[in-house]
Amino acid sequence: MDDDYYSIDAILAENQKIQCTFKKEIPNMGHLTGGNERDIKPTMKAQIPVWLARTLFFSGYADLTMPPAYAERVRHALDAEATSVKLSNLVGQGGLWYGFGRLIMNELDDDSPDTQELSKLLATTFKARLPAVVDQAQHFASINTAGSSGGGADAGIAFREGLDGTERELFNLAQESAKRTKLWYESSDRGRR
Amino acid sequence: MALPQSLMVSVMPSELELIACEQLVEIIPLVAMEKTAFISGAYGPLRPPARCKVPIWIATNLKLKKKCHIVPPSWLNIEYLQDRLSRETTYPEFSAMPFRFAEIAKVLLDVASDDFQNADKIRSLLKDIREARQAKSREGLTKLDHSELSLPNLSSMEINEIRPHFVKGMESLVKLVKDPEGRHMES
Repeated sequence: MDDDYYSIDAILAENQKIQCTFKKEIPNMGHLTGGNERDIKPTMKAQIPVWLARTLFFSGYADLTMPPAYAERVRHALDAEATSVKLSNLVGQGGLWYGFGRLIMNELDDDSPDTQELSKLLATTFKARLPAVVDQAQHFASINTAGSSGGGADAGIAFREGLDGTERELFNLAQESAKRTKLWYESSDRGRR
Repeated sequence: MALPQSLMVSVMPSELELIACEQLVEIIPLVAMEKTAFISGAYGPLRPPARCKVPIWIATNLKLKKKCHIVPPSWLNIEYLQDRLSRETTYPEFSAMPFRFAEIAKVLLDVASDDFQNADKIRSLLKDIREARQAKSREGLTKLDHSELSLPNLSSMEINEIRPHFVKGMESLVKLVKDPEGRHMES
């Protein structure tokens, strides 16, 4: 979820389409919106990838609509119980909910209320879900090294499937680290020296 | 970039163990040895049955060859650990333990369990302490914040265990939180 030029995550998040409303007439570009019309008319709506929307937005050709993944309904669901929302399903490919949210946040004005609200939504959601992510990771680290099967953990399945890409990465980090530490605690030096 | 991902984010527990083994421990040697120079310093002379301070790596080496007894450090006994455990379970903050207690305790209990009076009891106390402290570091995770996190008295092994996901978590949070003035977004 970084801005690095070479980051695959950043590229994927940029490919995400967002809803834009055109403000000006753009002649001969009608094919971009997928319709049969020759020109793009004002108030016309279209799904545009973020990397293109950025230019349109800054040069005043279009207005940005908040995608449904960050709209009222999802907000309420997250307020109610952050861990029961499947973030991965909200934003198609790769499920980079945070990454996409951050992109939109960067497109918007720094001091607009929308930005503040979105940032708050992303940060509080992240904080609310983080302990659950790490708990699950550590739980899995302990059962995997013990060699038992992952049965009896169905409560967490829905949550794990709904992990956002960033959370997945965190999950892996926490799991690896817990595994390594556990292995060390269980190892013995007697034979080694 | 050639390092595997896991080594890029933190060091291995075994590396921490290696570092901890530089610390001195008291031994009762069973063999005599002149003062000997090592890269990390000169140790000895060993004159049984006089006690002598040597690094843990020498102590374990001699111990495995049955050439010394290891004197447990002052904090590695039942009374001390019991006290720490009760503090750990009654107070919300981490109690002060030697910074590398986990590594030292494991190495010593591993090679010299017969030099301890009640090694099994010590082991189970250490395990309880570890679990109590883990619960607290999990608590710290819920308080994670984009600018700082303070968990005093955390030991090196515990820091190493939580480092990857704490660092990554904070890194992500920094990017999600947008407030130029600092921390007024706290809810």
